[in-house]
Amino acid sequence: MRRFDYYQPQSLSEAFNLMERLKGDAVYVAGGTDVIVKMKQGAISPKALISLRGIEELRGMESDGGIKLGSMVLFRELERDPHVGAKYYAMKEAASLLANPQIRNVATIGGNLCNAAPSADSAPPLIVLDAAFLLEGPGGSREIPVEEFFTGPGSTCLEDVEILREIRIPAPENKSGNAFVKLGRLKQDIAVVNAAAMVMMEGGVCKRCRVAVGAVAPTPLRLREIEQMVEGGSIDEELLGAVESKVKELVSPITDVRSTQEYRREVSGILVKRALKEALTRAQM
Amino acid sequence: MKKLIRFTLNGSEVSAEVPSHKMLLEVLRETFELTGPKEGCGQGECGACTVLVDGLSVNSCLYPAFEVDGKEVTTVEGLIGEGNKLDPIQEAFVEHGGVQCGFCTPGMIMSAKALLEENPRPTEDEIKKGISGNLCRCTGYVQIVESIKKAAQKRGS
Repeated sequence: MRRFDYYQPQSLSEAFNLMERLKGDAVYVAGGTDVIVKMKQGAISPKALISLRGIEELRGMESDGGIKLGSMVLFRELERDPHVGAKYYAMKEAASLLANPQIRNVATIGGNLCNAAPSADSAPPLIVLDAAFLLEGPGGSREIPVEEFFTGPGSTCLEDVEILREIRIPAPENKSGNAFVKLGRLKQDIAVVNAAAMVMMEGGVCKRCRVAVGAVAPTPLRLREIEQMVEGGSIDEELLGAVESKVKELVSPITDVRSTQEYRREVSGILVKRALKEALTRAQM
Repeated sequence: MKKLIRFTLNGSEVSAEVPSHKMLLEVLRETFELTGPKEGCGQGECGACTVLVDGLSVNSCLYPAFEVDGKEVTTVEGLIGEGNKLDPIQEAFVEHGGVQCGFCTPGMIMSAKALLEENPRPTEDEIKKGISGNLCRCTGYVQIVESIKKAAQKRGS
């Protein structure tokens, strides 16, 4: 690994100033479990890292009906927080299946999102929970829906100096349930395919549905066509069968070290079906 | 770029001037000559470099040395008590064959330590999850899990 400088700003404005000065030579780093690994593998070789660990403004969770998560909240915290576990079950499940304890003790939700892997476990839950991201730069802040954040494998809509400051999740509606499922060689491995679903039921009829799937397209994918198929009727085996076939048409997976295109296509349908079933069970609880 | 870092290492206040690109693992092994934590993969997969920072298990191979300034670091060497007495977890690994070649052992023990501090009576499933970030190339997992179970009983008694 090449030598690099390591800056530890204590505030957002200090971080922005550093990045403006070092633009092109520096990258922001959160827990480091992606950035430092990429540097060790030689995939990137920045001259400087700007650590976000010391910035208090990026820490902490706040309930405001929904929940606001600072981007430096650890997966360890998400996994253990009772409020997240009770209402944002898909998020808790994704957090507890991400890698292993040592990684979850330092890895952050913001880091996972900004790394923008198509397989990022935190993305599908946030899509189905209708999350929004607060991005902040020296010129001010802007709020965007989660889906607009990802622009390709490893790329986001963040501008050079901007930082993902906060993840805002609205309170789930009554009579709704959400779920996350993942298929890896082992569950804690990087996902071969992952999926999340949310359903809101009224008198046996699905009033609102959200479905997202990861590792089967250049970005985590929201499946609007599936949502439209599910909304307005009951969720039974016949519908789930049709959903499974349709998902396979909608995804565009690749073959890599973890799996083949064909296998990913096949299991993406099954995982979406499982996520919907589990979300339905939770909606009826 | 260099910085003087001060931290608590296995109960003692220490300081060192370290270059910005060093990871905690290198500082522990090279500056402080603590060779318990080991470099296996160097990428956060194998857990051979596991140490505790402020009581939480981390991969020291991915932990920038600058970040331990002001923190408390415990390596496997720090588990030994007065009169060279082993920690109950170390004793259990010796008694129940949790050690084969020994390369993964310091990391396994530190993960077990972190687990038992938070959850003194783990189920077998919780033990397996607790050491899911540690690989044993000898594949001696059965005895390792057994050792951690026995250590939990011993600590509880």
